[in-house]
Amino acid sequence: MLRNKTWFKVLSIPLMASMLLMGCSGNDTSTQSNDNTPNDTVNVAKDPAKPATWIADRKVKGLVFMGTDDYTEDMNAEIKAKLKELTGIDLEIEIMVADHSIDGLIAGLASNDLPDFVTFYLNNSGRPEMPVVLKAAREEMFTDLTPLMKDTKIYSKYLEDEYLPLDTKYGVMFRPEFNGSSYFVHMNVARQGGYATRKYAGGPYIRKDIAEALNIDPRTINTTEKLYDLAKKIKAGNFKDKNGKDVVPIGPSYWGGKEVGALFNDLEWGSSDQRIYKGKDGNILHESQTEFALKKVEYVQKLLNEKLLHPEFFTIDESRATEGALNETWGIIGDTHNYQEYNRDMHYLPLGPIDAVDHPYQMQVNYKSGYSAWAIPATTKDPQDIMKLADFLASREGKLLWQYGLEGRDYTLDGKGNPLAKKEILDLKQSNPDEAKKLGFAGVSNYWGELLGGTDIDRMADFGEMEYGDAVAPEVNAGALKIADYWGWDEKRKNASIVDGYTPLSFIGDFEHGTELKAAFENYDDSLIRAYYAKNTVEAKKILDSASKQLEATGLPSFLELLKQKDADPKTHLKF
Amino acid sequence: MQTRVNTSVATSKSSKLWRNILLHKYLYLMLLPCLLFFIIFSYIPMTGLILAFKEFKFNQGILGSPWVGFKYFERFFNDYQSTMLIKNTLIISCMKLFIGLPFPIILALMFNEVKNRYFRNIAQSISYLPHFLSWVVVVGLTQRLLAPDNGLLNQMISFFGGDGSTFYMMEPHFFYQIMFGSHIWKSIGWDSIIYLAAIAGINPDMYEAAKMDGASRWKEMWHITLPSIKPTILILFILSLGNILSAGFDQLYLLRTPGNMHLAEILDTYVIRVGLQGGQYGYATAVGLMQGVIGLILVVAANRISKKVSDTSLW
Repeated sequence: MLRNKTWFKVLSIPLMASMLLMGCSGNDTSTQSNDNTPNDTVNVAKDPAKPATWIADRKVKGLVFMGTDDYTEDMNAEIKAKLKELTGIDLEIEIMVADHSIDGLIAGLASNDLPDFVTFYLNNSGRPEMPVVLKAAREEMFTDLTPLMKDTKIYSKYLEDEYLPLDTKYGVMFRPEFNGSSYFVHMNVARQGGYATRKYAGGPYIRKDIAEALNIDPRTINTTEKLYDLAKKIKAGNFKDKNGKDVVPIGPSYWGGKEVGALFNDLEWGSSDQRIYKGKDGNILHESQTEFALKKVEYVQKLLNEKLLHPEFFTIDESRATEGALNETWGIIGDTHNYQEYNRDMHYLPLGPIDAVDHPYQMQVNYKSGYSAWAIPATTKDPQDIMKLADFLASREGKLLWQYGLEGRDYTLDGKGNPLAKKEILDLKQSNPDEAKKLGFAGVSNYWGELLGGTDIDRMADFGEMEYGDAVAPEVNAGALKIADYWGWDEKRKNASIVDGYTPLSFIGDFEHGTELKAAFENYDDSLIRAYYAKNTVEAKKILDSASKQLEATGLPSFLELLKQKDADPKTHLKF
Repeated sequence: MQTRVNTSVATSKSSKLWRNILLHKYLYLMLLPCLLFFIIFSYIPMTGLILAFKEFKFNQGILGSPWVGFKYFERFFNDYQSTMLIKNTLIISCMKLFIGLPFPIILALMFNEVKNRYFRNIAQSISYLPHFLSWVVVVGLTQRLLAPDNGLLNQMISFFGGDGSTFYMMEPHFFYQIMFGSHIWKSIGWDSIIYLAAIAGINPDMYEAAKMDGASRWKEMWHITLPSIKPTILILFILSLGNILSAGFDQLYLLRTPGNMHLAEILDTYVIRVGLQGGQYGYATAVGLMQGVIGLILVVAANRISKKVSDTSLW
């Protein structure tokens, strides 16, 4: 008995002590300033000794909840000094390293200790980050940006009608629940609708020598049946890779195993990350409710059984998938694009495109779309300084600094005032990208300025070229453009449909049982792949039926009904 | 009168304790970092468990957020996946716990029987190495070895005239073998250290006496070695019962493929996927708390049973 009491004491005393410690530590919000009143330093801009772009003499710290592959916290000292000279701002950026950027974001918000601004991934309102930042906004963690935007040159455009795409306007920023307030700025919005910086031709690619040997024009492969016949011919042709090994007729995506919608397009009900589509009869259905799920399973099983598709097509790791593409082991690469370095000489040609499930292929271009977003925590002093800094970075002068570097050091100006990248910088970027990155601007892959300034994009109008260095070294993208020409990009773009709307899964957060349904959608995706590998169609059907039942049980019909209502509303209509 | 006696007994006990502490001050000083470690990294975080009963608000912190009672527990048990998750977790952890228990003991006994010291040291070092590899590396190796067509196993099968195209990682009926095999390969050497240490502590006179009585090596092992390390085996078994609802996140997360997902989805992967990646701290904490409480109950119960049956216990 005594031993039990001792044991109880030993366990409970430290627990009580730690509870006491926690209780005393409290939460710091009350001590932090939430004062949004303008600071006197703003008026320094009127000082004739300061440049017109002057904001305030202060330090601004930003925390980035995005990957180090996409962004860097290292700013070049000379560029930092130039920014200070122009705006008075001493900018410091820190990247929160986490296994998944969303984990970092949640931990950062929960810590309640945020710097002057934060940035995070947010492609659209359906991205997993959205419910997290929305919760933070509802819990008054961020500053209302609408009044701060009013007096800016660039960001005031966000308040104009027609400037923002639907999802950015009503799904991300000016959500009806906020009554005109906005708590995060969606970035990467183009100045003109339908604007494209690159001529992307993505999807499956076939080895040129194989296409020539089989006397096939890859552009005529527009159905999965034709793709099957082509794969059989590749197998029968006994082609070899660089190491003398047999070629796999259809290999995985260049970036590793995944579902590749573009490869099985006429069997895909909606894009492979949504699987929801509006049929010709106007009904919005999930793939599980159509015949296409089983048709696709039968097709993939046929490819797998006849060894026409790589057995690990859906699960292979990235390194092996890329290795196969570089060694030319894949007769057809499941998914790649024309701007890839390895294919500058065009030894792989674009295949198709494969027609859609209910109509011939038509390019679909987003009216405008967003990418990342930023917000100012409610604890930031003088938040208008951050907005002004963002506005400066989004202006032509700001963009010139973070996209082209320093005049004289990194570029010269042509007669029209457009920047011409220096040849030695382009050469350094080619020969030693890491060293070039240290020069500190986006042209050499250092994207610090994009965090606050990467919006209102129209490079042609601003700098007279579509991409950094095009005017000086057009040969850099020559291979990519040649492939785009071969694929007929211009013609396809001319006939493209420009769409503005929400992806169906953007509304999963609005659905009462969204979490459960999301899990059921994930289960369906996994079940589909499992069905591909089932012994026969009967077993595959069983797997799919079970996944479909789970979808029904977690409220799929009600969710589709919600989508129908959203689609009928011009402010929230869907894109498929 | 009685009260005064009790008080004076308590005072004398307390002063005796302080005298004792003062006498062994250096030992207590050495204990201090360990105590601090547990207070900072185990007890203070434990207060976060109240999140299981609260709806976490970013701006109100853990203590300020509103109470929601047993909402998250209710939600978990209403989830269509909960039965599958508990079943999978129990199957996997029981396999690791019960079937996996004898493997390091057998290895330790085998090492003990090796007389060539040089060979034994090399063999031991090799068996410890996998412990230092991360699960990412181990699962990567497994994937390569078991890959269809060009994996080592399939190539060997093809070489002997079989069908070398089996996609083991995608086939659900190979999942338990792969999971258990990779777990044993990674942990067997390291886990055998403690049993080896226990074996080293056995009095050599007992073996000598047994030899004089004509006992064979097998009998020595069966009647001396194993009974001598029985308390160690029991203690380790009781301690590992606490993790019965934690089947090992890293391994299962990495081994999971669409083909085996209905077997590989466990509570740990669910907590990360739904709870943390979805920002639902309260829900994740509730599931984590449930795992911990069940583990604690099992440890206490097993400890009592062990104490009654064999007189070996943790406390």
